[in-house]
Amino acid sequence: MATTACFIIVSRNDIPIYETELGSAAKREDAAQLHQFILHAALDVVQDLAWTTSAMFLKAIDRFNDLVVSVYVTAGHTRFMLLHDSRSDDGIKSFFQEVHELYIKTLLNPLYLPGSRITSSHFDTKVRGLGRKYL
Amino acid sequence: MEPDVSIETSCMIRIAVLPIGTVPPSLLREYWSMLLRHQTIPLSAISSFYTEHQKSPFAHQPWDSGSLRLKFVLGGSPPSPWEDFQSNRKILAVIGVCHCPSSPDLDSVIDLFNSACKAYSSSLVNSCFAFCPGDSQLEDGGKKGGNLRLFPPADLQTQEFHLQTMMQDIAASLLMEFEKWVLKAESAGTILKTPLDSQATLSSEEVIKAKKRRLARAQKTIGDYCLLAGSPVDANAHYSTALELARLTGDYFWYAGALEGGVCALLIDRMGLNDPGLEDGVRYQYNSAILHYRKSFIQDNAQRVSPLSFELEATLKLARFLCRRELAREVVDLLTNAADGAKSLIDASDRLILFIEIARLYGTLGYQRKAAFFSRQVAQLYLQQENRVAAISAMQVLAMTTKAYRVQSRASISENTLPDKQVGSSHADGGKVHHQSVVSLFESQWSTLQMVVLREILISAVRAGDPLAAWSAASRLLRSYYPLITPAGQNGLASALSNSADRLPSGTRCADPALPFIRLYSFPLHPSQIDIVKRNLAREDWWAGSAPSGPFIYTPFSKGESNNSSKHELIWVVGEPVQVLVELANPCGFDLRVDSIYLSVHSENFDAFPVSVNLPPNSSKVITLSGIPTLVGPVTIPGCIVHCFGVITEHLFRDVDNLLLGATQGLVLSDPFRCCGSAKLRNVFVPNISVVPPLPLLVSHVVGGDGAIILYEGEIRDVWISLANAGTVPVEQAHISLSGKNQDSVISVAYETLKASLPLNPGAEVTIPVTLKAWQLAFVDSDAATGKSALGSMVRQPRDGNSPTLLIHYAGPLSNSGDPPTSGSVVPPGRRLVVPLHICVLQGLSFVKARLLSMEIPAHVGEDLPKPVGVDDIYNEGAIGSEGKMERLVKIDPFRGSWGLRFLELELSNPTDVVFDISVSVQLENSSNEDTLSADQGSAEYGYPKSRIDRDCSARVLIPLEHFKLPILDDSFFMKDIQADGPASGRNSSFSEKNNKAELNASIKNLISKIKVRWNSGRNSSGELNIKDAIQAALQTSVMDVLLPDPLTFGFRLVRSSLDPAKLDSPKESVLSSAFKGSVLAHDMTPMEVLVRNNTKDMIKMRLSITCRDVAGENCIEGAKATVLWAGVLSGITMEIPPLQESKHSFSLYFLVPGEYTVVAAALIDDANDILRARARTDSPDEPIFCCGPPYNVRVIGTA
Repeated sequence: MATTACFIIVSRNDIPIYETELGSAAKREDAAQLHQFILHAALDVVQDLAWTTSAMFLKAIDRFNDLVVSVYVTAGHTRFMLLHDSRSDDGIKSFFQEVHELYIKTLLNPLYLPGSRITSSHFDTKVRGLGRKYL
Repeated sequence: MEPDVSIETSCMIRIAVLPIGTVPPSLLREYWSMLLRHQTIPLSAISSFYTEHQKSPFAHQPWDSGSLRLKFVLGGSPPSPWEDFQSNRKILAVIGVCHCPSSPDLDSVIDLFNSACKAYSSSLVNSCFAFCPGDSQLEDGGKKGGNLRLFPPADLQTQEFHLQTMMQDIAASLLMEFEKWVLKAESAGTILKTPLDSQATLSSEEVIKAKKRRLARAQKTIGDYCLLAGSPVDANAHYSTALELARLTGDYFWYAGALEGGVCALLIDRMGLNDPGLEDGVRYQYNSAILHYRKSFIQDNAQRVSPLSFELEATLKLARFLCRRELAREVVDLLTNAADGAKSLIDASDRLILFIEIARLYGTLGYQRKAAFFSRQVAQLYLQQENRVAAISAMQVLAMTTKAYRVQSRASISENTLPDKQVGSSHADGGKVHHQSVVSLFESQWSTLQMVVLREILISAVRAGDPLAAWSAASRLLRSYYPLITPAGQNGLASALSNSADRLPSGTRCADPALPFIRLYSFPLHPSQIDIVKRNLAREDWWAGSAPSGPFIYTPFSKGESNNSSKHELIWVVGEPVQVLVELANPCGFDLRVDSIYLSVHSENFDAFPVSVNLPPNSSKVITLSGIPTLVGPVTIPGCIVHCFGVITEHLFRDVDNLLLGATQGLVLSDPFRCCGSAKLRNVFVPNISVVPPLPLLVSHVVGGDGAIILYEGEIRDVWISLANAGTVPVEQAHISLSGKNQDSVISVAYETLKASLPLNPGAEVTIPVTLKAWQLAFVDSDAATGKSALGSMVRQPRDGNSPTLLIHYAGPLSNSGDPPTSGSVVPPGRRLVVPLHICVLQGLSFVKARLLSMEIPAHVGEDLPKPVGVDDIYNEGAIGSEGKMERLVKIDPFRGSWGLRFLELELSNPTDVVFDISVSVQLENSSNEDTLSADQGSAEYGYPKSRIDRDCSARVLIPLEHFKLPILDDSFFMKDIQADGPASGRNSSFSEKNNKAELNASIKNLISKIKVRWNSGRNSSGELNIKDAIQAALQTSVMDVLLPDPLTFGFRLVRSSLDPAKLDSPKESVLSSAFKGSVLAHDMTPMEVLVRNNTKDMIKMRLSITCRDVAGENCIEGAKATVLWAGVLSGITMEIPPLQESKHSFSLYFLVPGEYTVVAAALIDDANDILRARARTDSPDEPIFCCGPPYNVRVIGTA
């Protein structure tokens, strides 16, 4: 399991609609901020890269220092971005796929406005569970 | 590391530009920019300055196409330890810049310059440019010669030309110096060292290697000079040699350097050629160079010096070369690798430069977020330096990132981002906007990042001592992210704001609003007193059509029109204060004091009045902002100017609207208004406001207090309304109309008074009386229904439901200041003054029921028959004991012979808590108008006594009615002809009875209308009871009995000669003998006669009988105990009476016992015709019709 991982879902409008810190590393505020900064910056890379491949899982597309950004782009151009410091592509891919399913379930909720923040605690619990399972 | 490196950097001649003496910064900047135009100097241009002393080592110099590239370094730079390795790092020339007027002594200038040049040992050409020399200096400087170059004052073009020449001269000198250097380097072995190879002790074997290595390095350096001299072909040749040798000696560092130089030479050589293979070649060679730089890494001295910076520089150079959108992937990889190297860099400033360059390259690539990320890294490095200059740099760098993080200061959002703003406003208009575009408004929801960036800006601004930037950052932070900041943090920000403001001059403006949040609450329409109405000149009633008419509030047909213009248009008048309501919210945990807030109007035709507000924590407040329009024209109010936390800011309503919109979509953190407990978002339409020239302004008040006018039902009262013109323009037209419910309660409005006072000049006042009559409480609803259609132009129902309102439409002159009215000019609008009459109707007397009572008062049997109506004396002894004039009203039907009185009994109750006095008047019908009036009033005044009804009591009021018997066709006619032709008229009426039901009804109405029941209460309440319906109902039931005469009338008379008629004539006697008058004596034969009159047109045959009854009602003629004896016939008297004639029948009575007796005549009519039957209401033709006369009293006086 990665010591540090930050998972974030960015809507097609580049708004983060879900964010969580996964992993067991001691949480430091400035680190968490740096994670977000890295993920935010990586959006530039994703934006170009997403159109070069038909795969949803873009693998590690960016890194800063030891932190690697892996991205999964859904058909609706919602981006799942994971910041991690270990490279277990398979686990990350499975993680992304499972989160995608969860996300689709959220989308199916008629009360959920696509593009707005995901506030469901159920979703949060599940994602964290997946994080423990795969990362 | 050096900033701004590229592959071409290798061929640039570095020239230090030094200000000599004092040069004002603005001038220095100017000179600097002049120099910058000469960064490339074509070889062809310098050939005239060039003299070939020896054979040039640059054999392949492209004199026609090549050029020298200059790189100016303002202020110079310290010598680099890597100068030998890359010759372009050397400062090869020094140019001094001197501003002569500020440094008059040229000698000292030369001294200064020379000493400055000493720092640049590598410099080959030194030259000092002196601008703007005076005449003496020109003269002086001419002699000085040397390095001083004087630029005589001239126009810009000449000066530029002069400078160009100078630069070409310098370039030629440099070229010649390069030749010299290369020739020297080729002959004599030069030792070229880098910090990498310092203490390496050379063994013998290594000496050979070192010799070769030295040769390689020399070749590489010669190649560098060739590049600088603009001869890439020569350079390439030398580089090839250098590469060969360096590879042999394993001098990877220099090998990589030679590779880099080779690429540069290639690029320069191929410049302008479109070579597809070039890019691949460059990429390949540079990758190889990077690889070799990496190889040259020596673990030994890694702590002290490392070739890493050259590897990174090479990476950046390649990245810059490839920096195109198509190759983004490659560039990103290069830059990512470069960023990775940052950790290993020893020097902090190297890291700074690296990040700056990475950020710039990402920026060039269009990766704004990446650029922002590295900029922030740069800023953090600056902030680590803990000094003010670094903090300023950090602040500036962070300011550049704000766009990517979308936390820009409003000041930096210029007009180019207007489309963004338009989204919001168009939304506000359209109401509904596609969801996606709403979302895009809040594209920036990286609140964590945004807060961090803003906080860093705040910190750096505080450290840099820029209070305005600090204020702006703190305000942005507080306004946008207050929900994420703890109350303590909010307090900290608030104090940061005030601390910053302390350092700012008062009246500083900032583009970024802080708190409070301000939204438009409403544009109050004009209070009804100053409503503005468009004038329609084509019509007499110019106000018509300006308001929607018809019963519908919303008319589908007028939708388009009303949407566009009428509904959302607001007219303000110059000089008249207006108000706008705004709502303020302070969602933070501290007390917010808004020093002043006023409307922001950019059109400059509005004076806004500031107010100051205190907002407690977590509260919102609706306040009224007012102002006065000053000039004619449109007004837009985009927001408010707020003076809060010591700085003046403009708060735009649109921003908050967008924010609230986002809040409803769940896209924004929090709705500041809702979290302050304010109501939900309302859609406030911003009307188009236009200011019109001054208009008259009428102000009204009700004389005697503007409170509600309290009236009892049916009360009539005059109210005076005073109208004053408070405007500056006279009122020239005015018109009063009524609106609202119960319009009929306004009996009269003195329109003429108003009319007469026109034009009403400013300051003038007029009082108009209005007569009101209170309506019936029970009838309110029906009245409302009828009142509605009466006036189409009513717009607003007065809030207090039932009262009517006076609408006064008024207008000033058609055109201002006496200009002749032109057809095209806009007519100044008129106004409408709504004067609500606050009438409060209390329940007054309530009517319970009405009844018609009939009462027969027996007549005394005297010598005379009762005289016909009109003779007052006849009822002197009226039973009701009334007296005086009112007795005229109690009249006898002459044809019945007795006094048949009819009373209308009204039962009234008084549920109120005041006392009512009731007076009844019946209008007399036969007099002329004045008479009627006076009689009416007279009777009301001293006729009937007033009936008083106490509170919570009910009372009955009797209204005597006269002439109920007679009038069928026409009262007045009847009254005139009654003496002469009474019977005929009576018969006529009986004939017309069937046919003229309608006329009959009309006559009833006529009668009813003459009855007025007035009341008054207290000192000034008086009114009239509305009892018409009640009377009508009461009369209708008994109309036949009441109005039609009987077919026969009977009368009794004493036939006595003993009474002297003369006695009667004397008043005294009549008084004295009043007791005896009309009485008979007991035990005396009393001759009497009965008079029967036929009131019909036909002959009537009948059988008459007469009875006499005593007080007990016993028949005292017949039976065993008869007390009256008689002579003559008393029963079964057959009579035939011709039409409209009378006949007599005489008889005598002898009363045995004194007392009161009643004589009654009755007749049985034989062969009655239809009329009689109808009158008697009998159906069967065989039934005899019995006709009974009224009783007559006989008073019998004893003889004792």
